[in-house]
Amino acid sequence: MAAARRSPGSSPHHTDLCCRTVLLLRKMRADVSRLLEAYVEKQGLDKNFSLDLVDGVPTASTEQWSEASDAERLGDNLKAYWAFQTLLNEILEEQRSSLTPNDLDFHESIQSVLLQVSALAYQLEELMVMLEHSVPAKELEGIRGARERGLFEKKLRGMKVLQELAHWSVRSVRDLRQLSKPVQTGAIPHVSCCLALKK
Amino acid sequence: MAFPVPSTCYVVLAAVVVVYAQRHSQQDSHTQYAQLGKDVTIQCGSVDRGAVVTWTANNTDLDASHLNGSWLVLRHVDLSHSGQYSCYEGSSWHLKYRVNLKVGTPPKEPVLMCRSNNYPNGFYCSWHLPSPTYIPDSFNITVKHDSKEIVCEKDASPKNRCYIRYLHLFSTKKYKVTLTVTNALGRNSTTISFDEFAIVKPDPPENVVAKPIPNNPRRLLVTWQYPSTWPDPDSFPLKFFLRYRPLIIDYWQHVELSDGTSHIITDAYAGKEYIIQVAAKDNEIGTWSDWSVAVHATPWTEEPKHLTTEAQGTVQLTSTLFISAGVLVQFQETTTSSTSAFVVPSTTKMYDSERQANCGAVAVSWVVGPVLVAFGIHFI
Repeated sequence: MAAARRSPGSSPHHTDLCCRTVLLLRKMRADVSRLLEAYVEKQGLDKNFSLDLVDGVPTASTEQWSEASDAERLGDNLKAYWAFQTLLNEILEEQRSSLTPNDLDFHESIQSVLLQVSALAYQLEELMVMLEHSVPAKELEGIRGARERGLFEKKLRGMKVLQELAHWSVRSVRDLRQLSKPVQTGAIPHVSCCLALKK
Repeated sequence: MAFPVPSTCYVVLAAVVVVYAQRHSQQDSHTQYAQLGKDVTIQCGSVDRGAVVTWTANNTDLDASHLNGSWLVLRHVDLSHSGQYSCYEGSSWHLKYRVNLKVGTPPKEPVLMCRSNNYPNGFYCSWHLPSPTYIPDSFNITVKHDSKEIVCEKDASPKNRCYIRYLHLFSTKKYKVTLTVTNALGRNSTTISFDEFAIVKPDPPENVVAKPIPNNPRRLLVTWQYPSTWPDPDSFPLKFFLRYRPLIIDYWQHVELSDGTSHIITDAYAGKEYIIQVAAKDNEIGTWSDWSVAVHATPWTEEPKHLTTEAQGTVQLTSTLFISAGVLVQFQETTTSSTSAFVVPSTTKMYDSERQANCGAVAVSWVVGPVLVAFGIHFI
């Protein structure tokens, strides 16, 4: 992985955007955690079910997190949230059509998280543009599952999506803070993602 | 041609010595383990069961009532039965067998705990037995993440602890840690499973200092530092929890602080000594640290600048006189003086007392002077 390299140019607007993104991430994490609890209960699942065989969900797990460059960090985040947009749409559709067709409040909770994910993706994209990093290409077809899944498989997949989304929200806060760390060369940091964020 | 015979002799002699040493050590190395509270039977090596033998425990003869033929039977053994047991042939007192008996218990289920106090670097797992076994135990720990076994590096000290480096961060896969304890009397094990985020628990904040703020009788400034074990405060900031109470009240007041390493308490009771502690937690995940070491502080108190009331008080006047005969005499006199109604800090009180005492000493000296001179003349 490339060593951390800062892009030129910073403004209060960057800092403000960074702060808003972190606050959105924290709000989203709280909502996703609640949604996951409700999801597990409504689908009759157990949190300890193994989800190892569920594929196609972007995993927050990373091996060399500290060595990623700013562009890599933001790019990975953006790609993940784009994928979650698609996946949450699928989950919502499955719930409406077959799994919980009458539970409108539940659908609304999923919809709310979906909106937050969309907003997050938008803010990350904006941040990348501001920092003059190239925005990765959107791969729409790679995520959408082509094959038909059974009901239980759909339920497990939904659980995996929410689990990974919750972990991504934690990773993203760390990523944004990492962007604001002072550069080793002694230069003044270009982005300041709320080093003293209020909760 | 004369050399081969002696060299063969040396080889044979050496072999004999080795064999003897091995037998000797084998005889010495017999160890038998017995479970606390159970009956134990020790056989006299390969001696017939009906043979007449004598047993000793730590070189003390044992009563024949403990014998069943040549076998030694100990009932309901306790820890005091541990020791060296020797069996001698009846008539010749030839040592036939020697064994070290060690009384203990099989291990109970071990207590295992894993915690990350230096996230995101790694975590350590530590363990202990809920009760002693009194005999040597061996521990084996395995750590799995995502079905892969990962290394747990044993610490030199303490020995009941090992360290695991995070190979992945932000993983939803659980860690599974199994600890197996084995001793000569049995084995037991425990397995725990946990999420990466759940075990994050920083050490308590360090160098907590509480100070009064001049001219603010209800305020205390509290400062502290990140625990030195926390490796990356920039990307992994901590939030803090502060609790404080006057010493004389049991009820704690709490403040949660999402950033910074200082806080001003603004609602302290004037003049009351406070006890203050701070805890830390990662801003996003994990649990609160233990409380820091308690510090004490009292808010600033105004010192009296003016004598506000006239009050009758007494001042102890001590005057030291050195008389020509070399006798040290302490002279005490009581006089009256005006004093403040405030209870003032001790340093001020001393200063005032001395000043007043000195004035008194001057006044008194006119009276006592001639008397002392008379005393001095008398001694001479």
